[in-house]
Amino acid sequence: MTSPGSDPSDDLAYPVHQHTLANGLRVIVSPDHNAPAAALNLWYDVGSRHEEPGRTGFAHLFEHLMFQGSAGVASGEHIALLQAHGAAVNATTWFDRTNYFEALPTGGLDLALWLEADRLESLLDAVTQENLDNQREVVKEEKRQRYDNVPYGDLMERLVALVFPSDHPYGHTTIGSMADLDAATVEDVHAFFRRHYLPSNCVLTIVGDVTVDDAYALVERRFGHLPSGPKPDRALAAPLPPLTGLPRAEVDADVPASSVALAWRLPALGDPELDALDLATTVLGGSQTSRLHRALVRRDEVAEGAGASVMPLVGGNSFGFVTARARDGVSIDTVEQSLLAEVERLADEGPTDDEVTRAHARFERDWLQSLASLDTRADQFSAYATLLGDPTRVNRRVADMATIDGTAIRDACRTHLRAEQRATLVHHALPKASPSPATQEGVQ
Amino acid sequence: MTARPDVPIPAPWAFPEPTEGRLSNGIRVLRHPMPGQHVVSVVATVEVPLAAEPRDLEGVALLLSRVLDEGTTAHPGDAYAEALESVGAAFHASWGLSGLQVMLDVPATRLLPALELFAEALRTPEVRDEDVRRHGALRLAEIEQQRANAASRATMEFRAASWLESDRAHRMNGGDPETVAAVTGDDARAFHRLHVRPGATTLVIAGDLPDGTDHWLESALGTWDDPEPRRPSLTEPPPDPAPATVRLIDRPGSVQADVRLGGQGLDRRDPRWAPFQVAAYAVGGGFLSRLNSVLREDRGWTYGAHLQPVPRRAGGTWAVAGSFRTDVVVDAVVEARRLLHVADRPITDDEVRQAVSHHTGTSPLRYATAEGVADQQAANVLNGTPVDHVTRWLAALRDVTPQSATAAYADAVDLDALTLVVVGDAAALRPGLEKAGWLTA
Repeated sequence: MTSPGSDPSDDLAYPVHQHTLANGLRVIVSPDHNAPAAALNLWYDVGSRHEEPGRTGFAHLFEHLMFQGSAGVASGEHIALLQAHGAAVNATTWFDRTNYFEALPTGGLDLALWLEADRLESLLDAVTQENLDNQREVVKEEKRQRYDNVPYGDLMERLVALVFPSDHPYGHTTIGSMADLDAATVEDVHAFFRRHYLPSNCVLTIVGDVTVDDAYALVERRFGHLPSGPKPDRALAAPLPPLTGLPRAEVDADVPASSVALAWRLPALGDPELDALDLATTVLGGSQTSRLHRALVRRDEVAEGAGASVMPLVGGNSFGFVTARARDGVSIDTVEQSLLAEVERLADEGPTDDEVTRAHARFERDWLQSLASLDTRADQFSAYATLLGDPTRVNRRVADMATIDGTAIRDACRTHLRAEQRATLVHHALPKASPSPATQEGVQ
Repeated sequence: MTARPDVPIPAPWAFPEPTEGRLSNGIRVLRHPMPGQHVVSVVATVEVPLAAEPRDLEGVALLLSRVLDEGTTAHPGDAYAEALESVGAAFHASWGLSGLQVMLDVPATRLLPALELFAEALRTPEVRDEDVRRHGALRLAEIEQQRANAASRATMEFRAASWLESDRAHRMNGGDPETVAAVTGDDARAFHRLHVRPGATTLVIAGDLPDGTDHWLESALGTWDDPEPRRPSLTEPPPDPAPATVRLIDRPGSVQADVRLGGQGLDRRDPRWAPFQVAAYAVGGGFLSRLNSVLREDRGWTYGAHLQPVPRRAGGTWAVAGSFRTDVVVDAVVEARRLLHVADRPITDDEVRQAVSHHTGTSPLRYATAEGVADQQAANVLNGTPVDHVTRWLAALRDVTPQSATAAYADAVDLDALTLVVVGDAAALRPGLEKAGWLTA
């Protein structure tokens, strides 16, 4: 293996073996014999961007139903059985995809493959009104727990609504709306499964203590007999032009401190300009020496925290934002002006050489850490195969990023982070109530 | 459909054994060479419990830990973080009940310059007045954010309810607003001088260690003089458990309530620890545990309900944790209490087998990264557990029987002394909690 860090132009050397079954299932195998364990990771090319109007949140609700049993598996058994064999197992849904994953002792890999194949073959045998209703309630509790009952929990929902038109694939978040969740029917579940859950719409990655031939044979044995089905249309939305008209939303919220976010439409994943903007967000908000922290938190002491993020997406546009929360007694307008000034200064002056060095070093460490464990390494291979068609890019990411210099970062900011192209979201903290007699003690 | 495959029993696995050594000033070093782990993890643990803080300056330890990377004598101010970030190093420090942990993650090729910087933060931090003052103000804002989050508020209130005021754990690790506001730069510098010293420090290092690592450790930290080499390190005083109680915390407008229902538990060195963990997994650890299968999968009342043991160095608590929509909270609490009842529904063979193979099966992967190994080994130092704690624990798990699990659970879980914390819309919740007998009208 090439040792990282010595020369960032060197590629990493994690093995990548690729194979496609007759039914279209793409398989990636990357042996690693350092621990007696394996990670299995499946990406289905379906996320919230594929949802129909009036059915927001459906891809994620469907992900829950994938754990409610299939022809040979009882409800809840998928997770329980794998956990009992030492697996970490779960699934997540995002704008562009749904992933299912398990990491476990190598001897359990065949069982994990069998379970994944059984639900791809026969999920609909087990879908009932009862388990749809139950999981709908669970998902609504998830929405309450993770978004509705959390300070600033509506941030993402409000940002995408400002950055994208409401009927755009990215115009709503993966959790969806309560009304749409309520409206989902068993027929919707059947149609969604038939349309998206096909071997040809899936990438399956195995990383761990296996040989390539053994892994291919196991996958063929469990998935080879499944019919291919029609490959769904994966047309991507056309890129949108930059925002105009300074869209803005201001909400009064029960939050401890007022906050502001500035957001922009950015190029899609795979565009080198998005990589340059990713480094720009590190310069702006990635760490203790980043510009926003230095200016707003340290120097001027107007913010209790400040950061910057890029959400890489494949369908025409990504989006990115900078945020800050006001310190007690500081006007949120002051914070907003400071945020904007720092973004404009980066576009005007570009980053310093030292800032570029630090951003590269930060990316390298983060990237190596994401590849350090089998499960996150498998997830990266699935991601690059699904979204960009080439898992070997995982080994080239550090070298690719190292070629992006300060001029490229500055130019990407000048093109994509212009002040007149921004959207603005402000959470105004409600005036603080005097502390109520919050605690009541009693006896059992 | 093909037939469901059998799963072979995994080969026995043991936590990697460290090589132990000492630097010339006595600092203990635990090394874990891990070929292929390109990011090296280093943890320095300093055995000084939070109980060592002056009562009226609680939070001084947290503020000191937060300014360690705000400048050193050799790299004043911003220059320190810039130097660290230029070599791709991540630095983090936190002070828990049992002591300080200072952590470094860095690509192996840049370990040497990163170790030199790491040593500066421990030995010669600037600890400037203005940095302590600013971090104090930021800590006050952080307390408000934590109190506004229902889940962290519930955890905080449960901990406060579980320990008497005489126990440092009664209060937040980072101090309360009044004491945080009182901390000055002088206080933080004095705390550093008194407590951060080689005699209390253990170093853990894991990863693909380059040739020369031992020499670099010696030159970076072996030359650190201890003003009082014979002063022993401090250990956390024994805990002071509080009697069971009920706390209803008003969070008006909440659409859910966060619940903690639990009591006093066991620590890792208790001989009943492994059987208790097995029982806890059966009742509330796995996806189809007794709690989650009913509260989530049958009733749809929650995104998840879990029984979590929370051990301290000595003693500990356990709690059922979950959040439930307001109109089912009381029913959920009543049902959870019923499901906690194990005496007439003892832990079964199947439940033991599943819990044991879950814990033994997840271990090789959890400890496959440098970070995973270093974190565990550093935790051993602060928990007072031996360097082969994980391996011993796995052996103890394999000896658990349904009888020993049921008995350990019965010892630890006193259903007549449950502490309940509910954070939610009190006006909507109070009548139901009164009716169910949790609160008196």
